[in-house]
Amino acid sequence: MKEPVEPTLQLPLPGSSPLKKGQVVHLSSAARQPLPANHRGNRGRNGSLEPNDSPEPNNSPEPSNSLERNNSPEPSNNSRQADGPGQASNRKPGKKPDGLWYALYLPGFSRLPEAVCRQRLELLAQLATEVSSGVSFHPCALVLEIRSSLRYFAGIDNLHETLSARILQQLQEWQLPTLFHYAASPTVSGSLLLARGGCNLLVYRRSNLRSALGRLSTDVLDLEREQRRRLHNMGVRRLQDLWRLPAEGLRKRFGSRFVNQLHQALGERPEPQQHYQPPPAFNSSYDLPCEVENTGLLLPVLEEFLAQLVDFLRRRDLSTSRLVISLVHEQQRNTDITLGLRQPSRCRHHLQQLVEIQLHNLVIPAPVVAVRMQVTRFDAYLGTSGKLLAEDDRAVTANATNAGEPDNRTADRHGHYRDDRLDLFLDQLLARIGGQNIRRIGNVAEHCPEYATRQLDSLQAPDRGSQHACPSNPRPLWLLPEPRLLQISNGKLYHHRPVSILSGPERIESRWWSGTDIRRDYYVAREDSGSRLWIFREKTGGRHWYLHGIFA
Amino acid sequence: MTKKTKNPEEGAEPTAYPGLTNGDAGASPVTAAGASGSSLDTRGNGDDPLNTLLAGNPSLWRGCDMAGQGNHGLPTGYPQLDNILPGRGWPRNAIVEIISYPWGMGELQLLIPLMREVVKQGHWILWVSPPYLLNSPALSQAGVNPEQVLLVNLDASCRDALWSMEKALQTASCGLVLAWQNWLPAKVVRRLQLAAAAGKTLGILFQHKNSKHSQPSLRLEIKGFYPGKQAPSGPGDHPGYTEITVLKARGNFRPLSVKLNLYQEGLPLLRTEQY
Repeated sequence: MKEPVEPTLQLPLPGSSPLKKGQVVHLSSAARQPLPANHRGNRGRNGSLEPNDSPEPNNSPEPSNSLERNNSPEPSNNSRQADGPGQASNRKPGKKPDGLWYALYLPGFSRLPEAVCRQRLELLAQLATEVSSGVSFHPCALVLEIRSSLRYFAGIDNLHETLSARILQQLQEWQLPTLFHYAASPTVSGSLLLARGGCNLLVYRRSNLRSALGRLSTDVLDLEREQRRRLHNMGVRRLQDLWRLPAEGLRKRFGSRFVNQLHQALGERPEPQQHYQPPPAFNSSYDLPCEVENTGLLLPVLEEFLAQLVDFLRRRDLSTSRLVISLVHEQQRNTDITLGLRQPSRCRHHLQQLVEIQLHNLVIPAPVVAVRMQVTRFDAYLGTSGKLLAEDDRAVTANATNAGEPDNRTADRHGHYRDDRLDLFLDQLLARIGGQNIRRIGNVAEHCPEYATRQLDSLQAPDRGSQHACPSNPRPLWLLPEPRLLQISNGKLYHHRPVSILSGPERIESRWWSGTDIRRDYYVAREDSGSRLWIFREKTGGRHWYLHGIFA
Repeated sequence: MTKKTKNPEEGAEPTAYPGLTNGDAGASPVTAAGASGSSLDTRGNGDDPLNTLLAGNPSLWRGCDMAGQGNHGLPTGYPQLDNILPGRGWPRNAIVEIISYPWGMGELQLLIPLMREVVKQGHWILWVSPPYLLNSPALSQAGVNPEQVLLVNLDASCRDALWSMEKALQTASCGLVLAWQNWLPAKVVRRLQLAAAAGKTLGILFQHKNSKHSQPSLRLEIKGFYPGKQAPSGPGDHPGYTEITVLKARGNFRPLSVKLNLYQEGLPLLRTEQY
């Protein structure tokens, strides 16, 4: 049941964007009054124009045992409520309405290692962003700014129900103890201390904070062991004992940090918070007006998506190296096309060409009814800076042409430009041919010739240091995958033609540890037709002659 | 269009013209019938601007052998071969076809100086469908950095391999493209030629057979091998000569051959083996 003096303002709903300049707000005649000086509010709050900063729960249904209320100032609240629209005059000018901070303390997290704890807290923060717009991290705890969401959830109890259901579910998935403490108060540190203290308390007015916190023991404070021991020895057991001690003396004995913490808890010091930013994600989808069987017709849609994506990336100063395009079919599973790039990029032309190549190769099992694009992996954008002075550029140009080389590739001056072209080409090659057929090679410091070349994926780079690992004896450019047996007839070796030995032998014995040991004498030989061959004779076993390589 | 100028009063030596290089990549057709005979020679003085202009342009030649004239080619590293190629070197924006049967007659040895140069400039080399495995210590020995080598395997389909070659030539992303593709139809070779001209890249095609009416602007054949003067199986054997014939080149009217010593002196033979 609504209070009769509910301010009758038609406001944009909480959760929508704050009031923009020039937006018209209708005020009923009774409620027309000068707006408070800072009506735009903070980030994370809606443009709530309510002049009434008294607590919401008077409007909400009776509490269902979820939160105790610190009820001492209730009677005065009612009287304030009765004032109605004239209340603005009661408030000091320039005073912001108090925020309400909801702290969640999870004692089960204290046993987890640091990284896991952080990761889990981030996941919980993602859940919490459904409920609040400002989530900040604290050791084993989360603090949410819920003032702005109270009206949307019609009271703190509903909010608490929603949130705790989600959190419980998530904690159960992780198989952690589902015990958590919560508290809400007008300050961040205050809520944290209350939550740590284990009292699930809701404090509305700042003036009640002192007494509420006073009942907590000093264990909830963030202290070193030494300080804790000293406090204990002094006989200070609860925070209310601390209130009685002079601030200067405490500062001298325990340091400013301790005293500042107390002041922040009481709301006497500002405590700026850094809110959690959920990671960026790009999703766009388009339902086609009719079924499409020709993948070429999807190109305009994808170009539009790419334009949006590039815009998104530019605004956030990001680039991406992975896109997923899903083609939705009516009765079948989606066809997913994954575009992976070697280097993160946000060049529209580049992405467009890759998409075209992928579509060209694609065979779809059924007509397409919708297209979706999703990008989840982002990288920071590394731009290239041009030269500051024009003279430098001209000097470099002059040098290049003086050297007598025709600068066919204008990119020679700027190494990075050429690398872009190569990257683009490699991306297209990978898209068309597939990664398994494109290889790079590197040297391996290995005597056995079959293992001396390392075949690498096109995305890896060979080690720099392996260049020096090359043998001093001549090696053939071509190696046969398997050594080929040579025939002997009439006392001469035969490949296709008679083979005569030119130089050698070079003995290679290696890999006795692997079971496939080789003991070979290698010779450089020449066939009558003129080819130069690299042949070997085994020293063990049948002592046959084999052809292993060709000097091309 | 080709222009022919006659300078009957000039002398006969092909001299090295100063480097007037322009990146003009006009793909003009080759005149098959060489009308003017061989009696017209040119001698250019370095100072004569007309001669330098005529010598530096690859799409321009005179009514005489272009062998060993001009400076617009990439040096091959073998001076005798330079002397018989137009432009004294490999053409810059074209496809070169090298015919040898079987593989391993020395065709890659011929290209090693070119590969070294390309790698030194920082470009990459693309190897499309090489017939055997590439041995990277050998590349390092030859002076070619294996980090700048990209391979397209034999497993890739012929269409994909040709596509990659065309793309690499067109976009000028690699410094050199080597391809082993047999039995390519003339249309495909023509497309590759156009791509090379568009991207100003050199592409080399290795073939087994000599098909007479083929498109590339320069065709070489590695014909045969001539052993050295000493006995073949003696110690410290002379490596012998490989004969290379220029079957077709822009501006050449008769096939020229040269014998090259492609391999350096081998290691001495330490002992002989009984088979």
